[in-house]
Amino acid sequence: MTEDGVRGEGRAEGGETLERREFLRRSALASAVAAASALVPDVAFGEEVERYLSGSSSVQWRKTPCRFCGVGCGLLVGIEDGRAVAVRGDPESPVNRGLACVKGYHSVQALYGEDRLTRALVRRGGTLVEVPMEEALDLVADRLRETVEEYGKDSVAMYGSGQWTIPEGYVASKFFKGALGTNNLEANARLCMSSAVTGFMSTFGMDEPPGCYEDIDHADVFVLWGNNMSEMHPVLFSRMLEERRRRPGVRIVDLATRTTRTSYAADRSILFAPQADLAIANAICHELVTRNRVDREFVNRHVAFKRGRTNIGYGLEDGFSFQDRPEDATWDEFVEFLSDYTPERAAEISGVPAADIRWLASLYGDPNRRVMSLWCMGPNRHARGTWMNNLMYNIHLLTGKIASPGNSPFSLTGQPSACGTVREVGTLTHRLPYGQVTNEEHRRNAAEIWGVPVENIDPEPGYNTMEMFRALDRGDIRFLWIQVTNPFVSMPDLNRYREGAEREGRFVVVSDVYPTPTTDVADVVLPAALWIEQEGLFGNSERRTQHFEKMLDPPGEAMSDLAQLLAVARRLGHGDLFPEGDDPVDELWEEYIQFHDAPDHRMASLSELRERPGIMWPYVDGRETRWRYNTTHDPAADPDRGAYDFYGNPDHRAWIWLRPYEPPPEWPDEQYPFWLNTGRVLEHWHTGSMTRRIPTLHRAVPQAYVEVHADDARELGVADGETVRLVSRRGTLTLPARIDHRAQPPRGQVFVPFFDESLLVNELTLDAYCPISAQPDYKKCAVRVERVGAGTGP
Amino acid sequence: MTDPDFSPTNTLARLLAIGAVVVGMLVVVIVVTSVVFEREEPRIHPPVTSLDVPPPIASEAEVFRMDREVRAVAWDAPRRPAAHPRNLATFRRLRAYPGAPPRVPHGLTDAEFRETRCNHCHASGGYSPRFGAYAPVTPHPEWSGCLQCHAADASIVGVELPPPGAPAAEQARCGQCHIDPDAPSPRLVSVNWSSESWPELDQRAMEGAPPAIPHDVELRGNCVACHAGPAAVEEIRTTHPERTDCRQCHVLVEEAAGGAVGTQGFHRPGAAEGDR
Repeated sequence: MTEDGVRGEGRAEGGETLERREFLRRSALASAVAAASALVPDVAFGEEVERYLSGSSSVQWRKTPCRFCGVGCGLLVGIEDGRAVAVRGDPESPVNRGLACVKGYHSVQALYGEDRLTRALVRRGGTLVEVPMEEALDLVADRLRETVEEYGKDSVAMYGSGQWTIPEGYVASKFFKGALGTNNLEANARLCMSSAVTGFMSTFGMDEPPGCYEDIDHADVFVLWGNNMSEMHPVLFSRMLEERRRRPGVRIVDLATRTTRTSYAADRSILFAPQADLAIANAICHELVTRNRVDREFVNRHVAFKRGRTNIGYGLEDGFSFQDRPEDATWDEFVEFLSDYTPERAAEISGVPAADIRWLASLYGDPNRRVMSLWCMGPNRHARGTWMNNLMYNIHLLTGKIASPGNSPFSLTGQPSACGTVREVGTLTHRLPYGQVTNEEHRRNAAEIWGVPVENIDPEPGYNTMEMFRALDRGDIRFLWIQVTNPFVSMPDLNRYREGAEREGRFVVVSDVYPTPTTDVADVVLPAALWIEQEGLFGNSERRTQHFEKMLDPPGEAMSDLAQLLAVARRLGHGDLFPEGDDPVDELWEEYIQFHDAPDHRMASLSELRERPGIMWPYVDGRETRWRYNTTHDPAADPDRGAYDFYGNPDHRAWIWLRPYEPPPEWPDEQYPFWLNTGRVLEHWHTGSMTRRIPTLHRAVPQAYVEVHADDARELGVADGETVRLVSRRGTLTLPARIDHRAQPPRGQVFVPFFDESLLVNELTLDAYCPISAQPDYKKCAVRVERVGAGTGP
Repeated sequence: MTDPDFSPTNTLARLLAIGAVVVGMLVVVIVVTSVVFEREEPRIHPPVTSLDVPPPIASEAEVFRMDREVRAVAWDAPRRPAAHPRNLATFRRLRAYPGAPPRVPHGLTDAEFRETRCNHCHASGGYSPRFGAYAPVTPHPEWSGCLQCHAADASIVGVELPPPGAPAAEQARCGQCHIDPDAPSPRLVSVNWSSESWPELDQRAMEGAPPAIPHDVELRGNCVACHAGPAAVEEIRTTHPERTDCRQCHVLVEEAAGGAVGTQGFHRPGAAEGDR
């Protein structure tokens, strides 16, 4: 590999300095290459980075978690002359050990897109016109106040995201729930991991995983449930591949509805029919029970059995609400329940040969293998998402393969602070920081820390995300403030919800960094700071809290979302509830961690977080907790209860749920004969508003397309690259077909990535959701594929 | 007095009655069974279409074919300094255009030529004392009709090359294999050939960023075959062959859908108006 690629952005200086610096840099890198064969095991490019850092360069390297996915890689950003010029993986970070993915390596370019929003915009006479930031904030505050006065406190709402920093989510929660007194606070994480939350809550009584990424270093078998990790969580996937290389016998199994890059890298690829994972998981349990592969001691001591409601609907109706009713069940009832799920029966539902299901069960049941299950959007974006999460825990609980090194059911997240901000702060309608609005003690505690009367906090949850946008459509919500997310690309059945936002009498405020289809419908657009243009904290999938400092100034009048929230709260007379200044992260963190001040959740101090590449909670007496509920690791677990203590539930047991297979709300028929699956690609993140401004990433995947199976394409008369029209009951989309490029859907299924704002696949998707988590199922609805022909572009 | 029950007519009637009851019960059993059977098999799940795992997409699957164990020389083995050099200049000279199959640059015995024994050395690589060089590893050993694409100039067939370091007179024979494609040759009608320029190496977005993949990966999806080990071309040898998932960081440029989109940066539709 050559090392002469000094082609940085913003390298304005020339002449002697540059030459000398370049020479030094080259010699440093040359020696790094020589030393490459002696790379420290586990630390990718470690030597190279360290040599680079010790070179006499004016580039300053500062640590931050990556801005993109929930893996939370540690990055080092090179800052020179007030600009970010380079990125390295942080070799100190235990998450990624110096490696990043293509998005991380190019992440800083997202700061410098040409159309970055730098001025506030206000809609006047149908057009967005620039106004001074202070004027825009005045308008937002006035409209918020007027709407509350005219229509009541529950006519206003805030919609944030798992990309909010922790202090931002905390201020949003305190402002809306504590000061304004409405629970209409939601975050887009509802659309990506709320089934994971309800899965954790119903099985363990507490959110977030028992294990951590270190499990990858110990596991012998990795089962990926509907999880294209090679593209979606590439750094963790690379860690798995490395383990397989280092340790003979390590196996990766890809259990999915579509053949992807992950399938090719895996030792085994098993395809199943959409929704049938419910049957497969139960059939695995059936096998474990009938072949006596159950860890009886573990089950007797640490597990209880529960039954919930069945035939629970799909949330398609406005005002849908659902409450599960857990009932006690017995081991015998569980065994009887499983008798419906013989591998043969599951094979019929899933299309997976019974022998393969037995083989999977034999991997899980082998007492000599440690097993890690990993999943993300597949089981979460699922009409029975909560159930699917429960069922995967069932398998690990039956075999006792949980909460110990390498034995780990692991729910991955997609946003950098879905865990930190949405789940731990609780920026969802039913949540409080580390609590529930319905719980009187939690409300009292929150009111005390917040310094507000307890009556301010409404004991009734408000609208979940789907219902919130439906309420906006109906007019029950009149004022909506959207920060750090792009719902008018990411919501399912998009046409309805976008029309709702555009109705007369709705006031929509959007804080973002680039113009998007969401800012297009806004009445006020507030330019926001991005990532390292402010100080903040994220929390990743493995309970790791990560701090980043402010490294750059935001452009123009752009302000952090935190400063915007504080500015509006102060204008409404709630200034006394918040510390002074635009970004009072220190004070906010001190206040926030009071909520977590118990051995099961304690957070590290800001000074420690500033120094270290992230710290996992519970963090007690200077020790991180890698395996929760494990009495030798978790300070909150009671050793008198044996090796494990599932203290989240009142009976100190984890709950195995009897969750049946139920069909999806919509499936292919004669009129709409194809399944439509949606998702991401490696190069683009979320709705592409950042990654599409990064040339390398944009050029790699410049637009959306539809993957069609080669045989289906032949029958349709469609060649690779030709234009086709997808039609669902909700919308139509015309886009190029792709056959055997990157991935292959099975026959009868098509796949479209959702990042492209010009080709909005969510105009076709169905807004059915898991009744327990209210998370929509983006992975399956029915469409028709029509040939349009060559040369007729979208 | 006779018991009417024992009269022949009565017996017949009884038999008939019993027969009717039996038939009736059978009907009931059949009906019930069919109802139960129906109830046990309701169509509660959507039809499953064929889920056969498809043949792999080469450019995707090949990346992961690391085959370290079949290699004769490890990726990270140090290179013998005296080994015949392999660099970009020689690499390009053997190819008519970027992506063209390279010519065979060394002598082949008649038997080797006849039997296409290329994969003996090129499937797994390794040091060849005969040529004083490391054999480059082919990224596609599954194709064994090598000469179908890789031309062997007539002048090299039946030629055994001396090792480097042999007397100068013998070294002079190098030219027999290192044929200059532009050199005049008897009966060769010269062509006015030029091709697209070689792809720019090291296309990095910024200092330290992973360079993009500047070539297509058809028949060349197995990155480490060419980019790792002592036979790899010096300028394009990776420092980290063990990383496996190459395309996690190195992306193809212009992997446009159907080739419809050029290399322009992203622009929102209707961005000029700044508003809808």
